[in-house]
Formats: sequence, structure tokens, C-alpha cells
Amino acid sequence: MDTVFSIYGIVCAVILFAVMAGIYCSAYYFNHKTPKPKGCENLKANCDGCKVTSCMNNPIHDYNKGDNKND
Amino acid sequence: MTELLSMALAAVIINNVVLSQFLGICPFLGVSKNSKSAIGMGVAVIFVIFGASLITYALYHLVLVPFKIEYMQLISFILVIATFVQFTEMFIKKYSASLYKSLGIYLPLITTNCVVLFVAQDNITQGYDLIETIVNSISVPLGFMLVLYLFSCLRERLDSADTLPSWKGNPVALVVAALMALAFSGFAGIV
Repeated sequence: MDTVFSIYGIVCAVILFAVMAGIYCSAYYFNHKTPKPKGCENLKANCDGCKVTSCMNNPIHDYNKGDNKND
Repeated sequence: MTELLSMALAAVIINNVVLSQFLGICPFLGVSKNSKSAIGMGVAVIFVIFGASLITYALYHLVLVPFKIEYMQLISFILVIATFVQFTEMFIKKYSASLYKSLGIYLPLITTNCVVLFVAQDNITQGYDLIETIVNSISVPLGFMLVLYLFSCLRERLDSADTLPSWKGNPVALVVAALMALAFSGFAGIV
């Protein structure tokens, strides 16, 4: 029976996901290892911040660093 | 050819991704303080959307359809976009310091920009062929860049305008965005 969720399809899906996740992880790793060009070490976005606090351009991270310094 | 032109015009002005479909609002509000950063973000978004759309188009037609795993579309497209942004950032870091200086901070933000995923999904759900995919993948981010630039120019003028203290900053910017959306809705029906 040719169902959408055949065993063959599930195996293909798992393999595809594993390959793509592996490529993403290695891209992330190599991107982190690549040094930033000179003069670009502390680039800052002109951003007042939105509700996405996981974004490193959000000023909430600077505020937290400042708090630690004061402590 | 006429069809492609009308499709591009519709994507840029009539079905503008920000003002008609209300996608990509975060960078629209966050990176529109000055026109220079708006252009930087716009160029980065055009590049990423174009590249990611071509890869997702190939992935869908060469892998997902032959193996009958179309239900993996969403998760694989998200991974493609995230990976493409990482590779782009790495390439720019290594080969163009000046480009990294102007775009570097915006590149990670593009991963979370839902317009990129929207265009990749839209190319598949609308059943576009390769040429139509290329046209759509350039014209949608062009519309995003156009609106971002116009809005940043307006915000620059608003900074020096005499507005009520309680309206300064984001409140008046949101009102201007609403007026822009109304103005763009006037283009409906020209193509």
C-alpha cells in the first residue's frame, strides 16, 4: 500500500533531517571558528530592542553586562 | 514576459510583503532608524532570499518529491535558510571585510525573518517554475527593501519633527506604518 507515511518514506525523512542538521551544525561551528575581520570585532546594531530577547542585537544583553560590572 | 513583469510588479507594490501581508515586521520596525542601515538590511535580505529560494526549490523538486517526503518541507526549508545564512556570514567574514562591516550584524537577524520562509514556501505552493521562482525571489525582497527604505526616510524626518512627547518614537512610527499600508492598498487592482 502506497501510504504517505511508508517505512521507506520515514527512513528517507530521518536521513534527510540528519544530513541537513549535520550540515547546519558544521556550518555553525565553522562560522564561529572563522575570525571576524579587523575593526569588526564589536559591531553594534542601531536597535532599541524588540521582544526577541534571544537576539544578540537586543540592548538587554548590554544592560545585563553593565549590571555585572556594577556588582 | 508580460506575465513575469506583472508578477514582479504585484510582488513589489500590490502584494507587498510588509504592508499587505504583514510579514517581516520585526526588521521593518527595528532596522528602520536610518536609511543607511535600512539599505544594508535590504541588500542582505535580497541576497539571502534569492539564494535560499533557489536551494529550497531544488531540494523540493529533486529530493522531497522523488522520495515522496513532501511533509518534510517546512523543517527542511528552515534548516536550509539557517545553513545558508551561516555560510553567507562565513564567506563574507573571510573575503569582504567592508561588506561584513555593513551587513554583518544583520545577517543572523535574517534567519528569524519570516519573509525568507514565506518566499520559499510560496514558490512551492503557487507551483512556480524556475524562472517564476527567480522573479518572485527577487521582487518580493525588493518590495521589502523599498518599504524599509521609505519608512526609514520618514522616520529620519519624524525625529526632527515637532510631535507630542508621548507620540515620539515608536507610537508615531506605527501610525506612519499604518498610513503607508493604507497608501499601498491603493495600488490594488492596477495589474
